[in-house]
Amino acid sequence: MTVQTAQGPTPPADPGRHLASPTTRSALRIQHHLLGAAREFLRGEGFTELLPPVIGPVTDPGARGSKQVDIDFYGHRYKLMTSAILYKQASLLAFDKIFCVAPNVRLEPLETAGTNRHLVEFHQLDVEVAGASREQITALVEQLVVHMVRSTVAALPAEFEELGRDTDAFHGLLQGAFERVRHSDAVLDLRAAGHDQNPDAELDWEGEALLSAKAGRPFFVTDYPKGSRGFYDRECPGEPGLLRNFDLIAPEGYGELCSGSERTNEYADIITRMRETGENPQKYRWYLDLVREGIPASAGFGIGVERLTRYVAGLDAVWQASAYPKLAGVVSP
Amino acid sequence: MSDLAAPGFPEEAVRLRARTGAAAAFPPAGDYGQVLFGAGPDGPDGLGGPPDRLDALRLTPPVFMEQRLAKLIDLGREPTYQDVDLSTTIGGLRSTAPVYVSALGSTRAAGGDLGLALSRQAGALGIPMVIGENVVPVNGYGRLGEAAGRSLLGRLTAYTERLADGVGGVAVQQSTEDADAEVWNLVHSDPAARPLLDSGRLAFELKVGQGAKPGLGGMTVLDAAAAARVADRYGLDPLFEGQRVLRSSSPGTFTEEILRQQVRLMRNNFPRVRIWVKLHPGRDVAAAVRTAVEAGADAVTVDGAEGGTGWAPAAFPRHVGLPLAECLRRLGALPSGPPPGRLLVSGRMWEGSRAVKSLALGATAVGLGRAALLAVAEDPQDGLVRLVECLGTEMRLLISSLGKYAPGTLGPEDVWSPAEEN
Repeated sequence: MTVQTAQGPTPPADPGRHLASPTTRSALRIQHHLLGAAREFLRGEGFTELLPPVIGPVTDPGARGSKQVDIDFYGHRYKLMTSAILYKQASLLAFDKIFCVAPNVRLEPLETAGTNRHLVEFHQLDVEVAGASREQITALVEQLVVHMVRSTVAALPAEFEELGRDTDAFHGLLQGAFERVRHSDAVLDLRAAGHDQNPDAELDWEGEALLSAKAGRPFFVTDYPKGSRGFYDRECPGEPGLLRNFDLIAPEGYGELCSGSERTNEYADIITRMRETGENPQKYRWYLDLVREGIPASAGFGIGVERLTRYVAGLDAVWQASAYPKLAGVVSP
Repeated sequence: MSDLAAPGFPEEAVRLRARTGAAAAFPPAGDYGQVLFGAGPDGPDGLGGPPDRLDALRLTPPVFMEQRLAKLIDLGREPTYQDVDLSTTIGGLRSTAPVYVSALGSTRAAGGDLGLALSRQAGALGIPMVIGENVVPVNGYGRLGEAAGRSLLGRLTAYTERLADGVGGVAVQQSTEDADAEVWNLVHSDPAARPLLDSGRLAFELKVGQGAKPGLGGMTVLDAAAAARVADRYGLDPLFEGQRVLRSSSPGTFTEEILRQQVRLMRNNFPRVRIWVKLHPGRDVAAAVRTAVEAGADAVTVDGAEGGTGWAPAAFPRHVGLPLAECLRRLGALPSGPPPGRLLVSGRMWEGSRAVKSLALGATAVGLGRAALLAVAEDPQDGLVRLVECLGTEMRLLISSLGKYAPGTLGPEDVWSPAEEN
């Protein structure tokens, strides 16, 4: 049983009850199948699965005020991974097409405990392709998501029934060819609807939920402004200030499922962008040494595994898609 | 030593350099932690700067006072200086006076009980307080057994315990090197800061520079053991006798685009937090203020060359950076003038006339640095409270003499410069 609050359901204090709940079991079976379908699809496309690192001297610089977790690594301050992004780029020195299912820990701001879409500990299906453009990588996201959902819907009718999730909701998704909306157009849409979206920032949660609620199937938001994202999203050469990146937004108000971009891979560009994002290049030494020697141009993305599960399973909150959910400020096993 | 002499030449300064080498470029290391540095027009030990043009200005009350008439009509009686309402908004934070406590960082002088006393009194006064950028990397956050008084959490808690509803707020600094300590993220996700965050009284200040040493990062003097502990994060230079070491921070690298994007990133990452920027008095300070404001900063602090409490090479207070008066002149010369409601200034502030002149030239508030520290050193219980009471009374007297009754109504017409007359 879950406790319903004004901000949505909160996880039960007893992990045993959560694990034994039919909702949890169905959600986790759906998640299991989604991941199996992804592996099947990506292997078929020639990808190699790598096991991602859990700790490192540096991780994704993070955003939206979440804190990295520091650990003492034999007297050196190391981080738990908040995203495998830097390691994904480096991994292309071994293989041209890689993926991993990566655990991430982010100490999110306390207010995210009530958003129904944030977990402190979560997983991403991370994909990176050497030499790919944004057009190629968004096409890959589209095919991957369609395959994962089609396969899961076909394989687990009883689980969808148990959850009361009408699989007709995926009719639009299964057609593929998701719409592309530029960030600036999304801002105009939101402002026309009376929502005061900052044009220089990411879509805020409320704005993103508004757009998501209006949509009948997933869509991409592209070309975010530079100040809204990390240094690794490539700046558009023809349109300075805009990034060659994208988010995939789910319909029905479920919000963001996936973020990705073409990557910055030129040394001077990365250093300059690090400064623009307030980073101290000193701590990225191993990564910058690799970049100076040359890493491939690439594009990639990360799909939030629990968020995708939440959407596909039609769950109220993302924590319902985790066996051991951890929410901001809620101490739990 | 020979008996060679050089009358008219700074012989003793040369001899000092000959005896001590690079240490002579700095104030005596033994003074560190006991002496508050920073330029003055006639400072001791050769630390003085050029004559202060802000002090040379005169406040010039008019004979005809339209705003006094408006106040008279409003009150139904003749207004007095006590009718001046000093309350204002400083960088998005409501304040009982156009005054805030400047960042005092991790310098030994601000550590321990003085830092806590300062925080308590600033909270009681309902004026914003800035917490220095390297308190966390040097003294810790306060959750893992560090001495509470020196930690950020200790100061935050001391400040909020005495704070009334609806006023004040804390601005937490971070500079380039502190990005490793993720000071802002730490505060943003900490339950202790939540009351400030939820009530809109938390600000983050991007530290671009400081008045006492424009173009340089923070500098402190450490003993050898303390220096060894931070050797992987800071530049160390064993300049001084007695195993004392100069520890310096990188100042960070800024271009117009880097500043613009950093402010935007802060706005993106911390939408519920007020965004402040602190600038050193660089020759392009007007362009930097404009860039920060256009990118969405709620406040931009200009620290004049007179500013600073910390350790600086002796050449800097004497020879480097624009005086605050010149910064204000350059901002006033912008086609759009100083950014309304967003300019904060600091640099040798302690009494009403300098503060009121700054407000007349476009500032929204003035920061107390050395004065605040000296006040709590004089009386840890009420020293800062009394100093600000006196400052407030002076400001009321001066503003009312100009026929005005709120700090925001002051303007350049209220000051006269004998230099410009000539």
